[in-house]
Amino acid sequence: MSRRRQLGKVALALGAAAPLVGSPYQGDHARIDVAELARIVERREDHISAVELAEWIRKGKPGLRVFDVRPQAEYDELHVPTAQRVSLDSLGTVPVVPGETIVLYSTAGAHAAQGWVFLRALGHQNVVFLAGGMYEWMDQVMSPTLAIDATDRERAAFTRVAELSRYFGGLPRTGVPRGEQALTAGQLRRRSC
Amino acid sequence: MIAPYFGLDPSGHADLWIALVIGVGFGFTLERAGLGNARKLAGQFYLTDLTVLKVMLSAIVTAMLGAFWLGRSGVLDLSRVYVPETFLAPQLVGGLVFGAGFALAGLCPGTSCVAAATGSGDGAMVMAGMFAGVLATGSLFAPLASFYESTAMGTRTLPQVLHLPYGVVVLLVVAMALGAFRLSEWIERRHAGGAARTIQPAGATPSTGHAAGVGGVA
Repeated sequence: MSRRRQLGKVALALGAAAPLVGSPYQGDHARIDVAELARIVERREDHISAVELAEWIRKGKPGLRVFDVRPQAEYDELHVPTAQRVSLDSLGTVPVVPGETIVLYSTAGAHAAQGWVFLRALGHQNVVFLAGGMYEWMDQVMSPTLAIDATDRERAAFTRVAELSRYFGGLPRTGVPRGEQALTAGQLRRRSC
Repeated sequence: MIAPYFGLDPSGHADLWIALVIGVGFGFTLERAGLGNARKLAGQFYLTDLTVLKVMLSAIVTAMLGAFWLGRSGVLDLSRVYVPETFLAPQLVGGLVFGAGFALAGLCPGTSCVAAATGSGDGAMVMAGMFAGVLATGSLFAPLASFYESTAMGTRTLPQVLHLPYGVVVLLVVAMALGAFRLSEWIERRHAGGAARTIQPAGATPSTGHAAGVGGVA
């Protein structure tokens, strides 16, 4: 049998087997290591705070990508600087370069946490989500408050956060009665997760 | 450079070196297939030599099967491979211009580089024409921009257009390619036989004539 004929038969065999094995996209065959994910969650390495994210963005952390998984209308209304809108169902097809760090956020954190599971299942290692979502960003970065009876430690922390907040155009407030802190989250109407 | 090599080494230029190696390999393979010869390429349009069709189909089938099975086995992340967007009208016009240039010059962009690298004046002139065309198009881009971006259809793949699973499309393309191989060889044999008969000495057997015909064509 000639080599051309042999190669033709190999191509035909591989082609004939193709319909039997399903999709070639990895996103369709993701696997979850439940125990490993549970350990990551227990170590609290699955999420970051809004202030940490703000610091990463301000410093220009290399390879940082911020994905907003909320609906397009909410993204258009307001989003974290540098974030790109990515729907949950298209997370598996977004090209990610090895070494990039992905931060997911949603309105309150639940959808972002689900997206975190999806991306981990697809094999992405450097993925975290914003635990409190957009609410946390608005509270902790855009409208940080310092209680009127704040301790020295709280004041020191506030100084750092207030500087970050001003960088992003936020309005830090001081002398706020302790019970009136974090008004923003309470005021925001919960439209999604 | 496109995925899967793009960004493998964000701090360096490893992907460019990979591109260079692949480019040299591609050029070497084209030359070994005889595609640096304008006469051979022109034979495609006269149906006397269908090497171009066979080389291109071989490349398509090899790349497709490689991408499918490497993707399926988890070695290649197909979501990172860039698929160009479809702009129907400008790409149809571009295809016609490309085809006309190919038929006139006997070389396409890749093969003109290969021909020029082997010292062919044809290849060098086609390359010069190609760069002149790029320059002219770039200079005239502003008035062409609206047409250039018209009939945008986004990223379309055969499985999406045909509403068929990827594996079925793979099988159909392999079957189509193998059928085209058989057909092209039948056409070439038929042409070689015809050519042989035109120079066949009286009384010679057909098989002898076939060999003489191939020698005459070459």
